[in-house]
Order: sequence, then C-alpha cells, then structure tokens
Amino acid sequence: MHIFPIVDLNGIQIDLSAIIAIVVTSIIVFVLARLAVRNLSVENPGKLQNFMEWVIEFVHNTIASTMPFEKAKKFISLGMTLIVFIFVANLLGLPFQIITEAHHEIHWLGITKEVLEAHDGHAHISWWKSPTADISVTAGLALVVFVIVHSLGLKWNRKHYLKHYFEPYPIFFPINLIETVAKPVTLALRLYANILAGEILISTILMLKVWGLPFMAVWQGFSIFVGAIQAFLFTVLTMVYISQAAIHDEEHAH
Amino acid sequence: MSFYPSSTIFTIIAFLVLLWLLNKYAFGPLFGVMEKRRQLIQEQMNAAANSRVEAEASMAEQKAALDEARKEAYAIIEQARATSSKQAEEIVSSAKNEATRLKDEALKDIESEKNKAISALRTEVGGISVQIASKIIEKQVDEKSQEEIVNKYLNEVGSK
Repeated sequence: MHIFPIVDLNGIQIDLSAIIAIVVTSIIVFVLARLAVRNLSVENPGKLQNFMEWVIEFVHNTIASTMPFEKAKKFISLGMTLIVFIFVANLLGLPFQIITEAHHEIHWLGITKEVLEAHDGHAHISWWKSPTADISVTAGLALVVFVIVHSLGLKWNRKHYLKHYFEPYPIFFPINLIETVAKPVTLALRLYANILAGEILISTILMLKVWGLPFMAVWQGFSIFVGAIQAFLFTVLTMVYISQAAIHDEEHAH
Repeated sequence: MSFYPSSTIFTIIAFLVLLWLLNKYAFGPLFGVMEKRRQLIQEQMNAAANSRVEAEASMAEQKAALDEARKEAYAIIEQARATSSKQAEEIVSSAKNEATRLKDEALKDIESEKNKAISALRTEVGGISVQIASKIIEKQVDEKSQEEIVNKYLNEVGSK
C-alpha cells in the first residue's frame, strides 16, 4: 500500500494528494463546462453544448421525478455540479498513478524514520488519486448535502420537517435521528468504498506486470461504469433527500 | 486510510466555489439559452397554431363562398328555367289567342259576306220578279181588261 504525502502545518495535517486531486478535478470540470458554453447558440447548438444540455435534461429528469417541477429548477445547478464533479473525480484515478520513492527522511512530507523503516527503507508516495477514493473528501461532499437538505427542510417546510422526527409515534425519535445521521454517512461511505475498491484493484493488477493487461482493460472499463453509476447515485440520493425534507406533498399528507 | 479534516474542509470550500463559478459562468448562460430556446419553440408553436386557425378560418370562408356561388348558380339556372317556361307559355298562349282571333275574324267575314250576298241576291231576285211580273202583266192586259180596270177605278171614285 502506498502512503500519501501528508504535510504538517502548525499541527494541521494536510493530505497534499487529496488537495491536488480536488484542484485538478475542479479545474477539469470548470474547463469542461466553459468549453461547453463557449459558443452558446439558441438555434444551432454545438456538440459539446448538446452534450451538456443532455446532462442537464438528465439531471432535471432525475430531480423532477422526486419533486414538483417548479421547485426542481433551483437544484439543477447543484445536481449538475455534483454529478459532473463526482464523475470526473471518479475517473481521475483511473488512467495513471504518480508515485515517487523516498529513501530518506523528508520531514515536511511526513516521511519520518519510523515510516521509512516500516516500508523497508523505501516509501512509495502516491501523488495522484481519485479525490473520491478518500473518505475525507466524500465526507465533505456528504456534509454539503447534509447542510443543504436540513437547512432547506427548516426553511421551506419547517412544520412537517420537524414533525417527521416524531413519526409515526414520538417514541421513534431516536430511530429517526439515527436515520438522519445515517443518510450522509452512507452517502460518503458508499462513494468512497466503491472508488477506493477500484483503485486498490488497479494497484493490485499493476503487480501482475504485463500479464495484468487484459484484466486492467476490463477493470478500467468497469471502473468507468462504476464511476458513472456512483456519480448518478450520489446526485439522485441527494435530490431524494432534499425532496423528502423540503417538499411537503399536499396530496399525500400524513 | 486515515481521516484528515483539512481535506474535508478543503473539499467543502472547493465544491462551493466550483458550484458558484459554474453557476455564474457555465450553467447560468446555458440555462438562459435553454430557456430562450424553450420560448422560441413556444412562440413557433403558438405561431403555427395561429396560422392553423387562420388557415381553417380562411378555408371555411372559401367553402362558404363556394357554397354561396353554387347556390347562386343554382338560383340563376332555376330562374332561367322559370323564365323560359313562362316565355314558352306566353308564346303558346299568344299564338293561341292570335289563332282564335284570326278564326273569329274569318268567321265574321264569312258571315258578313254571306249576308251581303244574300241581300244582293234578294234585291236581284226582287228586280227580276218585278220584271217577270211586268212582262206577264204587259202581255195579259188588253183593251178590255184595261177598260174594266178604268171603270172599276171610276166606280170607286164615283161611289165616294
């Protein structure tokens, strides 16, 4: 297992590889989005614009299926950013790895004597990974969703939102509380575990050297699929949570 | 794998910044364009619906005009037929009248000619009979009878 470059800054440990990955992902997403809207046209959209509009329609449909149309519009941007960011992040770790070998103590990277000894004198430092293969990053995303869901619940739908903690009977309050906490935790863990598993398997296949090529091809393809599915899942679940908390369906009032 | 809160915080910040940037520079304009296209399509659909309504209206109008023209033509034909039959009747009746009139006149002429002929014949017969009578009388009245007659007349005068 590789170790990651950790910088200790006044007692705060910073994972450089995660930060690099997040920055790169953000830049890729932003450049992609800018490219898509470079030559905006009402009547004759370009290929990238068409693709982006297809994604918007797709996100819109997933949102519209969980909440009324008028309210869904406000979350298309959030859903779009989530799905594109997570998809790009999931794919980021697939094509290559950047690994440096450290044979000496590098204190600012957290390579101490003990670490070196634990790795037989040469530590592999991995600079490149999917940001979503890091529980800290997916926790951040889940936290954003968590805050949005509950603030919207409080803002738009206060009465029913607060009431739902005591449904169907007040005694269910602890269970509802657990559910509330479990939602973002599962959101973060699911994404993290799926992508991490993909990366671990990739590094495992790498150990097979040349013989691993066919497996690598298959697994890379499957990882793209998993990345897309996870991005889709994360977005849809976010929308479902938002609609559960923030939208009170008058017709099925309970 | 250990948990680094710094990564979490950095993720949140990066994500929010990305959301804001994308909203401002990418999705905002894209939504605008999509909204514009929606409006454009809406307008075109409205225009199409309007022109369809107009086309239907003008078609109905034309149909009405056609019906009217047909009705008018029918009326004209009917009128012509009525006029012609009336005229034919008139001609026939006037011809009949004329014929009756001619016949009556001819009858009247014949009658008057007949009467004229009869009266002429009568006059002629009267004259002829007078002549015949005078011829007969001339032959039969001799001196004797003349005397007798004169006497008779004288007697008649004397007795008075």
